[in-house]
Formats: sequence, structure tokens, C-alpha cells
Amino acid sequence: MKRMSCEYESGVIRAWHAGEWTPELRLHAAECEDCGEALRLAEALRAEARRADERCNPPDSHWILRRSQRMAREIALRRMDLLLKTMRALSAIYVAVAAGWLLRGYAEVQYREIASVLHGASSEFALMAATVAAVCVVAGLWPILREDAARREAGFFR
Amino acid sequence: MEDAGMIASWIASGRERTAADEEGFKRLYEATSRPLWGYLQHVSGRPDVADDLLQETYCRFLLRKIPATDEARTRSYLFRIATNLLHDRFRSRDDAALEEPAECGVETDEAARLDVRAAMRQLKPRERELLWLAYVEGMSHAEIAAATGLGAMSIRILLYRARQKASGFLRPRRIQS
Repeated sequence: MKRMSCEYESGVIRAWHAGEWTPELRLHAAECEDCGEALRLAEALRAEARRADERCNPPDSHWILRRSQRMAREIALRRMDLLLKTMRALSAIYVAVAAGWLLRGYAEVQYREIASVLHGASSEFALMAATVAAVCVVAGLWPILREDAARREAGFFR
Repeated sequence: MEDAGMIASWIASGRERTAADEEGFKRLYEATSRPLWGYLQHVSGRPDVADDLLQETYCRFLLRKIPATDEARTRSYLFRIATNLLHDRFRSRDDAALEEPAECGVETDEAARLDVRAAMRQLKPRERELLWLAYVEGMSHAEIAAATGLGAMSIRILLYRARQKASGFLRPRRIQS
């Protein structure tokens, strides 16, 4: 059978920590070998903790806050950079596809018909192009404005 | 306002907090940084690593979107971040580099210090974590599970084994003192 610790050990340690013993727990701790061993180890570790505390010299909380804000800004910049790279790549793809489509259309029509074709399609084509451009601009601008608002809220612009 | 109230207020403000909440964070930091540093120093065995990871722990804590919660859970959350950082450190670096404690500060009880440190150095990092959280921080098994990411059911047996091992390494004269 697997050897397990005493079921009261956790309670004994917490009582020792808090200094709030019940008579039953105190009696148990005095008699139980497991709990006694746990208490002795806890005392040794607590002494080690006290020694560690003497050496502890944590930095100022203000400095930690500033560092976390710097990190937040760096993360936001990295995200924004990734977004801009993605937008640039999408724009390049869009330009390539649009250029291919236009060249293909250009090759298919007779040279003399160009003027009339362009004339007939100009308004529809312009509307479509303007819509695509607007979607791209909004998609790019929305996260930038959102990020700006978050940074303003976090006090980065103060 | 009392410290506990300020800390609770700061935690409850969640991610909407701004620089105006610095005082609340300061109280939380003052209440938790020293125990956290002790834990990091004990498990890593090096004060410089503890310094580094302490800062990283609070920075990550501030960056993450944690739900509003109470002080005990925040403390447990901080220990969880610290434990994860320790594991990252152990994974990314040569373990031996973390095993040799740097000597600094004034030692009052050299023999006892060497006993405990020597014993702890022979334990695995996970065992050191469990012993420290249970016996120094006084965490319950559920709290240890939350702080280490281990299953709550396995804490008892793992802790028992770690204690047996540590007691075996400690010199009897030290344990009996």
C-alpha cells in the first residue's frame, strides 16, 4: 500500500503558521510522527526564509510599473508592426491582382474599343475601387485608433 | 484606507487601472514581493535569478488581463507566474547554472544555512517549490495546485515524498534543534 502523509498535516502546518492551535491539533502534532517531521522541516525552511528576507532588496514598485508600461508599449508596437506588414502584403497582392485583371482585360478588347469600354465601365469600376480602398483604409485605421485609445487610457500619453 | 482595502480596490479595478492606482499596486507589491523573492531565490538557488524573475513576474502580472479577484487569489496568481517563469528558466538554461547559490549578505547561522541549502540543492525544483509553498507560505493543497499547475489530488503524495526526501538530507542535529 502506498504510504501517504497524515491527513491532519495541512491543518497542523496552517495552525503553526497562524499560531492558532486547537487543543486537539496540538495534541495530535505532539504525537504524530509525520506531523512532527513536517513541523521540523517547516521550522528549518522558515529560518531559511528569514535569512533570505535579510538579503532581499526588491526594486521600487514605481520602477516595476514603468517597466510594465514600456513592455506594454513594445507589445503594442510589435502588434501594430505586424498589422502594418500584413496590410502592406495584402495591398501588394491587391495591386498585383488588379494589374493582372486590367492587363487581361486590356488584351481582350480591341485597341479601338478601349475608349468606349472604359467610358461604359468607368463609373462602376470607380465605385468598386473606391469601396475596396475604403475597406482597406478602415481596416488599417480601426486597430490603430483602438490602440491609441488603450494607450491613452493606460497613461502612456501623459 | 487600510492596506488590504487598497489592495482589494486595486485588484477590483481590473484593467481599467491607470497611473492613479499606483498606490494600490505599491501596497500589493510591498505585501507580496519579499515572499515571492524568497520563493524564487530558494527554488532557483540564486539571488540574481530571483531579482530578475521577480521583476518579470510583476511585469507579466500587470500586462495580463486578469479577472477582478481577491488578494489570496492574486497572491496565488503571482506565484503561478513566478513558477512558470522558473520552469521556463530551467528549460532554457543549463540546470547546473541555477544550482550553485551565490554567496552574499550576512549569515547568522552558517551551519543551519548550509544544512538547509545543501538539502534543498539535492531536491528537484518541483520538490523545492512544493516544500516552500506548503511550509513557508502555508498554502493549502488547493492553493499549491493553483500556484504550480499540478493536480490538486497529486499534491499530497508529491509533498509527502518531497518532505521525506528533504528530511533525509537534513542532518539529524539540525532537525532536532
